[in-house]
Amino acid sequence: MSTHTYKKFEEAESGVLPDKMTIYQDCLNAFNESPVNSKRCRLLISRLLQLLAQGETFPKTEATALFFAVSKLFQHPNDSLRQVVYLAIKELSAVSDDILMATSSIMKDVQNGSDMIKPNAIRSLTRVLDESTAFSAERLFKSGVVSKHPSISSAALVSSYHLLPVAESTVKRYSNETQEAVSDLKTFPYQDGLSEHYPNSTYISQYHALGLLFMLKHHDKIALMKLVQQFSSGNTLKNQLAQVQLVKLVGSLLAKDPQLVSQFGPLLLGWLSNKYESVQLEDAKLITSLPDRYVSPEIFASAVQTLQSLLAVPRVTTRFAAVRVLNKISMIAPEKIVICNPELESLINDSNRNVSTYAITALLKTGTSNNIASLIKTITNFIHEISDDFKIIIIDAVRTMALKFPEEWKHILNFLVNVLKQGEGGFQFKNSIVEALFDLVQFVPQSKEVALENLCDFIEDCEYNEILVRILHLLGKEGPSMKTPSLYVRHIYNRVVLENSIVRSAAVVALSKFALVKNDPTLVESIEILLRRISNDADDEVRDRATIALEFIESIKSNGESDPSPAEDLIQSKYTYDLASLESKLSQYMSAKQESFKKPFDASSISRYTEDERKAIDLKKKQEQMFSKVPTGKSKGKSTVSSDAEKRNGTYAGPGSDEMDQDLQSAKFAEELGSIDDFKSFGAIVNTSKDVPLTETEAEFVVTGVKHLFKNHVVLQFHITNTLTDVALDNVSVGCSPATSGDDCPLSEVATIAADRIKPSETFATYVAFEKSEEVVTEDLLNTLYFTTRELDPSTHEPFDGDEGFQDEYEIDSLPLTAGDYIKGSFVGNFSACFDELPNHEVSVYNIRENIPLQEVVDKVVVNTSCLTFDNTQFVSTDSNTHTLKLYGKSVLNGARVALVVRMIKSSKGIALKVEGRSDDPTLCSDVVNEII
Amino acid sequence: MVDLSLYAIEALLVLDGEGKRIYTKYYRSPHEKPEQSSQQHKTSVKQQTEFESRLFKKTHKQNAEILLFEDSLVLYKEYVDVSLYLVGSADENELVLQQAFTAVKDSLDLVLATGIDKKNILEHYDMVALAIDETIDDGIILETDPATIASRVTKPPSKDAPINIELSEKGLLSAWGFAKSRLAERLQQGL
Repeated sequence: MSTHTYKKFEEAESGVLPDKMTIYQDCLNAFNESPVNSKRCRLLISRLLQLLAQGETFPKTEATALFFAVSKLFQHPNDSLRQVVYLAIKELSAVSDDILMATSSIMKDVQNGSDMIKPNAIRSLTRVLDESTAFSAERLFKSGVVSKHPSISSAALVSSYHLLPVAESTVKRYSNETQEAVSDLKTFPYQDGLSEHYPNSTYISQYHALGLLFMLKHHDKIALMKLVQQFSSGNTLKNQLAQVQLVKLVGSLLAKDPQLVSQFGPLLLGWLSNKYESVQLEDAKLITSLPDRYVSPEIFASAVQTLQSLLAVPRVTTRFAAVRVLNKISMIAPEKIVICNPELESLINDSNRNVSTYAITALLKTGTSNNIASLIKTITNFIHEISDDFKIIIIDAVRTMALKFPEEWKHILNFLVNVLKQGEGGFQFKNSIVEALFDLVQFVPQSKEVALENLCDFIEDCEYNEILVRILHLLGKEGPSMKTPSLYVRHIYNRVVLENSIVRSAAVVALSKFALVKNDPTLVESIEILLRRISNDADDEVRDRATIALEFIESIKSNGESDPSPAEDLIQSKYTYDLASLESKLSQYMSAKQESFKKPFDASSISRYTEDERKAIDLKKKQEQMFSKVPTGKSKGKSTVSSDAEKRNGTYAGPGSDEMDQDLQSAKFAEELGSIDDFKSFGAIVNTSKDVPLTETEAEFVVTGVKHLFKNHVVLQFHITNTLTDVALDNVSVGCSPATSGDDCPLSEVATIAADRIKPSETFATYVAFEKSEEVVTEDLLNTLYFTTRELDPSTHEPFDGDEGFQDEYEIDSLPLTAGDYIKGSFVGNFSACFDELPNHEVSVYNIRENIPLQEVVDKVVVNTSCLTFDNTQFVSTDSNTHTLKLYGKSVLNGARVALVVRMIKSSKGIALKVEGRSDDPTLCSDVVNEII
Repeated sequence: MVDLSLYAIEALLVLDGEGKRIYTKYYRSPHEKPEQSSQQHKTSVKQQTEFESRLFKKTHKQNAEILLFEDSLVLYKEYVDVSLYLVGSADENELVLQQAFTAVKDSLDLVLATGIDKKNILEHYDMVALAIDETIDDGIILETDPATIASRVTKPPSKDAPINIELSEKGLLSAWGFAKSRLAERLQQGL
């Protein structure tokens, strides 16, 4: 060893890692010495541990050599050396070979060692065992478990727990001892003044024993029930972790069988006032995550109360935990935690930013139209004291609130404008505010004017080009339709004078849109003058845009009023493409071979959205976001503790979920259909419905169906999955017969395409096509699956040669063609005004006898009508028995508007529905209203 | 299915004042296959150090004690030139993790008689490693009473007297000090 490394070695405080190879050599030398120098060895092991704990690794051969050298130290009787030896063995066993060699030395210590090192020996033992040798340690573990010494008992229990994946049967053999260990209160023995510390007995071995016991019996529901009964009574469980574990056990039982809630009710209630906060918390978490219908409102309320009291605890962790649970509840049922609002408000200024974020987002969710004003005032007071990323979270929450309470736009707008003008904050922050204002402009028409004016003010001194460009675009889009377009023109033109070329060119485009304002000829003239002036700009892009715009305006003028020129479309586009599918089509085009470039790119196959449609899609996405943005993270976590809450979330998002996917899916279907010759003559698809299941998902043959509407045809597409493992299906077709037979039937079958063979676990599509008239045709279609089964040779997975197979048929659910298939959800700014102006009126009343939640009915109605919901009416508040659902959509055939108001009342007898529909199209109106369920 | 596993803790980290490693341990069950492990994304040293530097950046001088970080619950405490971190699963009971974290923190306080700082930890690295090992065994909380943990940690052998009986004033004082703080905490909790 050189003096240099030696010096380094001594200077521990320098923080420099000791050299790996030096330590390796020193260890091998010192451990093989005789007699062993215990002090030096412990120091060396300490260095070795340091290396390992900082992420250094040894190659396998060296690790093995070290492992053996370390195990030589077993001959030294010193406990204090031995303890670190065990630690080293634990660490090295993961990276070394032949670790089984140390088993016998360790076992000797487990039997005869002192109480000090016995636990360490036991815990090391489990690392060197494997499947084949675990059984030999059974007796040692068993005697460890029953030991009176808590550390030994815990060590044995935890070690057994680690062994479960490889040696469950061995551990099972002492499950009786484990069970006794749960109720055994083991105190730490008095240490004869050897120690300077005064241990308290935590009885933590109860926790370990309980945990092990659950794992051993987790398949046996009755045994678990018994465990709960046995350990929840009296004072058996002293350890708080063990009590938390018991609550979790009850939670897992309830997750499997929610009916048990009534049985566990008193227990759940009792835990809420447990002396340990951790138990209260776990219990409150459990109660609030249970499905609604099983939990009585009283228990839920007391759980919320417990959480409320936890909010006031000085310890940050407790507050954090409680506010996190409340935040989660606020996503689903904000009205239930309104009583916590005072506490939550006091947490807004909490020193822990996470706590305050949770508190604010929860508050914004519980906000009602009454307290929004005061809430916003509170936020205004402190928003300047916090950092940017936190501000963004708040702005986002405010933004969702703006969509939820459009009538409160004044307060929200004021708030947004204020924070925007304060000047502080980076790009991200400003951008999120501008986004929020954009939402207001788009979805809250009343606020449009004020919001736009404020945005105009803002661009006067905005330092971010990206934001400027976006605002200019918005002004160009919305400005011309406002009362005083000239105001916006002035602001935009200011940009042309003052800004850089990027902003200038955006401003030119925005300006040109004002030239289309019909009612103010002077404005058009002045715009022309402005544009002419700009066409002398220093930047070529700006010049080009100005020149083109002038050209367009010229051509519009020359065409006159009667004949709208194509230039108008170019200036003010009426539709946008579906960007996702446009992108995929384009990249397909680009990646194809050279010759495909000879043909120009065909954009007609990409779905286009008009302004209203795009708004409808946006709104829907945003509404979903509000509810899916649960900040608990961890997808794995959601599936465990909060699985039920998740499920409920799932049904809420139900009607509109996977909207994105559906768009992509229908594009895919369209492509598939386009490739089938029989359907080419039908023209373009007008509408595609969702993929609905027609069988149970557990059935032998799983069938789902999709309806494609063409102008004069309907194509039903069935996806058939063969779930059998040893049978193939040949000649699979679906027989589709309309419910009304004979000449009255509006549909006549024109083609059927069958699947030749469906092998196990394959999915194929079959098609049935009908001809129909151009009007709205509704019909119930009864379906039967026809096929020939052929058994498969397990070795070749081909049918046996001689096997003829036998024909079979299989009844599947009907696939009705409803009025909803002719409707696409659409957006309208002012629902009630629009509702009143529609000419045709229809009313219908339904009674549902089943006892199902209102939410389920709402979801069903939304799916059946395929309309867009308004004013957040797709969410039923959980404690009310009445609900009003507002729906709006447009016919895919002729664009006729449909507006529906569905009022429902739930009583003990069932649910009564009154549907009021108005539409431009009388038949569509009556069809929709009469087929709503 | 509710998570009944005893594996509550994902990692325990001790970083210095610049976010460099002093002691790091990522836990996983000794007999489970690596790919089944719940935190497979933190298996290589590179991923770990990256995680640590992000965590350190997020928590340094923030004094928040607890936060949700990259789908894990993190409890932490910053000292003058070291910080302690305990990383647990996001659905674990926060107060249970708090118990484990307090156990680590307080037992280190007891073991390192003159307080938690970088020099002290490096000088008594064996005792620190032992104390942590006595608190958390591959992700399972082994013990939560700091005094029990501290008394289970052996001191290094001195050459002359193999068994070291220390009844010095310092030891007694620290025990008294600790008892006093615990008592105060209990009383506060009761109120």
